[in-house]
Amino acid sequence: MVNTIIQQLLNAAQLGAVYALIALGYTMVYGTIRLINFAHGDIFMLGGYIGFLLVTCISGLPLVVMMPLAMLLTAMVGVLIERVAYRRLRNAQRMSMVITALGVGIFLENLVRLVVGPQTRQLPAQLPNRVLTVFGNVVITEDKLLIILISMSLMVVLWLFVNKTLMGTAMRAVADNGEAVLLMGINLNLVIAATFAIGSALAAAGGIFFGQAYSIDPYMGIDLGWKAFIAAVIGGIGSIEGAVLGSFLLAGVEVLTVAYLSSNLKNGIAFGLLIILLLVRPNGIMGKPVLNKV
Amino acid sequence: MRRFGLSGLLFSATALLVVLGITGCKDNGLKIGVSAPLSGDIAALGQSTRNAILLAQEEINARGGIKIDGALKKVTFIIEDDENKPESTATVFQKLISQDKVVAIIGSQSSKCSNAGAPIAESAGIPQITPWSTNPNVTKGKKYIFRACFIDPFQGRVVAKFAMNRMKAKTAAVLYDVASDYNKGIAEVFRDEFSKSGGKIVGFETYNTNDKDFSGQLSKIRGANPDILFLPNYFNEVPLQIQQARKLGLNCKIIGSDSWDNPELIKLGGKVMEQTYFTNHYSPDVDRPASKEFIAKYMKKFNTPVDAAAALTYDSANILVKAIEKAGKADPKAIRDAIAATRNFNGVTGVITYNGSGDPLKGAVVIRIENGKFVFDSAVN
Repeated sequence: MVNTIIQQLLNAAQLGAVYALIALGYTMVYGTIRLINFAHGDIFMLGGYIGFLLVTCISGLPLVVMMPLAMLLTAMVGVLIERVAYRRLRNAQRMSMVITALGVGIFLENLVRLVVGPQTRQLPAQLPNRVLTVFGNVVITEDKLLIILISMSLMVVLWLFVNKTLMGTAMRAVADNGEAVLLMGINLNLVIAATFAIGSALAAAGGIFFGQAYSIDPYMGIDLGWKAFIAAVIGGIGSIEGAVLGSFLLAGVEVLTVAYLSSNLKNGIAFGLLIILLLVRPNGIMGKPVLNKV
Repeated sequence: MRRFGLSGLLFSATALLVVLGITGCKDNGLKIGVSAPLSGDIAALGQSTRNAILLAQEEINARGGIKIDGALKKVTFIIEDDENKPESTATVFQKLISQDKVVAIIGSQSSKCSNAGAPIAESAGIPQITPWSTNPNVTKGKKYIFRACFIDPFQGRVVAKFAMNRMKAKTAAVLYDVASDYNKGIAEVFRDEFSKSGGKIVGFETYNTNDKDFSGQLSKIRGANPDILFLPNYFNEVPLQIQQARKLGLNCKIIGSDSWDNPELIKLGGKVMEQTYFTNHYSPDVDRPASKEFIAKYMKKFNTPVDAAAALTYDSANILVKAIEKAGKADPKAIRDAIAATRNFNGVTGVITYNGSGDPLKGAVVIRIENGKFVFDSAVN
């Protein structure tokens, strides 16, 4: 009994780690420019594909080189998207930017479909994947363990960056008041570009882990993007700790519903929880109430 | 000057329309629609469909075409992408029928898509032959809808019997996509047949199309410790499910159904697919002259292995062409009657006869995966 619960919680931890890597991008972009970046799920997909192309084109490229390289390239794409598609709309109606984001997402899906093809692919297994028996009959593979650990360290690095560095302070200032920071001599464009770069790089890490643990296809960002978005909303969109908390919570509820109720109810219970939570706490678990400027 | 420019523009537009009209009128060959998943999750299967159709079209036109009203007419297959989505399939069927004015439709492949298209073809009175949709509802109660394959009440029974008798399984678990008609249909048949024959179903778990994490369901199944796991899902998802099962320490035997048959299965799964079994429509190893000939032609032209969907699509195209020749006219009603009267059609995948319904009586084969190859194991009638 206890064994099964631990086994299922380990399963949830891996899923939650991937959700969190995507949810962080949603929450950071929302925090700085109040945009729900619906293309973010597709950036995650693109990150997985960049990783896939790197390992297939350069044979023998180790993961420790491939992953930072793919994160860097995806970060550049993220910055480019912000520059080309969103910057001019920064002062337009909120809705224009959201619709543009949806368009960017569809563009990315079809670009990948056209260039790489629509088939499901698998990243060559580069992480060690022996099956470890933890205790009793609880098993975990080495790759699963590494994915959870590396994701968590990335989140810690992000937290340190946002809270302990100058750029991180600037980001938090932009999140507080985007107009006032201009008066303080902060380069707004640079801060926003950095936000997109970090969010995209984390999503790329998520995409590569996902390709290692599961598989990649051009449409994988749609469903996962939604799940991560919901995780960010549960945690309180705009809050970094909230996004991580929301992700693990959502994954936990999903896996435990499958384990103890019925796999048919997985999405029903997960989304039902979201509705109830938003009724009780409209700004999510860690979110702060925002006063709308008139 | 300006007015002249405008009328000049109008004139050239009219001229263009006239030219288009003439070339359009000249093209009075026969049009047959094809709805296939060229993109989307099972795009690899759409490619097989397209290959089979192109091969059939080339052969028919090489012998001059089809004789209609006493004159030979070339055939054009209009292949449209339904993305393996029911809603897109409905649009494709509407387009083929009302815009292209096709005389018949081949497709779609997955049952959920054929179920979306069939009511449209039925109400328009356009005959439809689906190559690969095995769900019984596709043809049920319809006059114009046919298929080239067996149906799932039969296939589910074959899987259940094989699991009990050959693989000596007393307990079984199922993991299937609850959002897809085919997967759900055959999973339920298997559950009923397996329990009816004295077996016990110890796990009956579901997921939704596009899910990639099955660890919750598989951990639960592992707790129930079944002798065999049945995965009636499409070839793009099955390798992932088996990999996750093995990583979670679920080491039981695994069996599948005809939705496994595509070269992608081995490409994605590799070693974990070894010594698994699945039911299929035909095996290249079975010694039938018609199969051998088709496989040789297909491999030569496309340089890729033949899957059942390609073979069934090729059969569907030829059943249809024979029926049109017999009807002797491009009239959907007459073509429908000629398809229904098909007797002993010697196809690539077996002999096809329609006995009053749209479902032919056909046998199944069981395939074993060995050294990365699909090997014939046994045949069931």
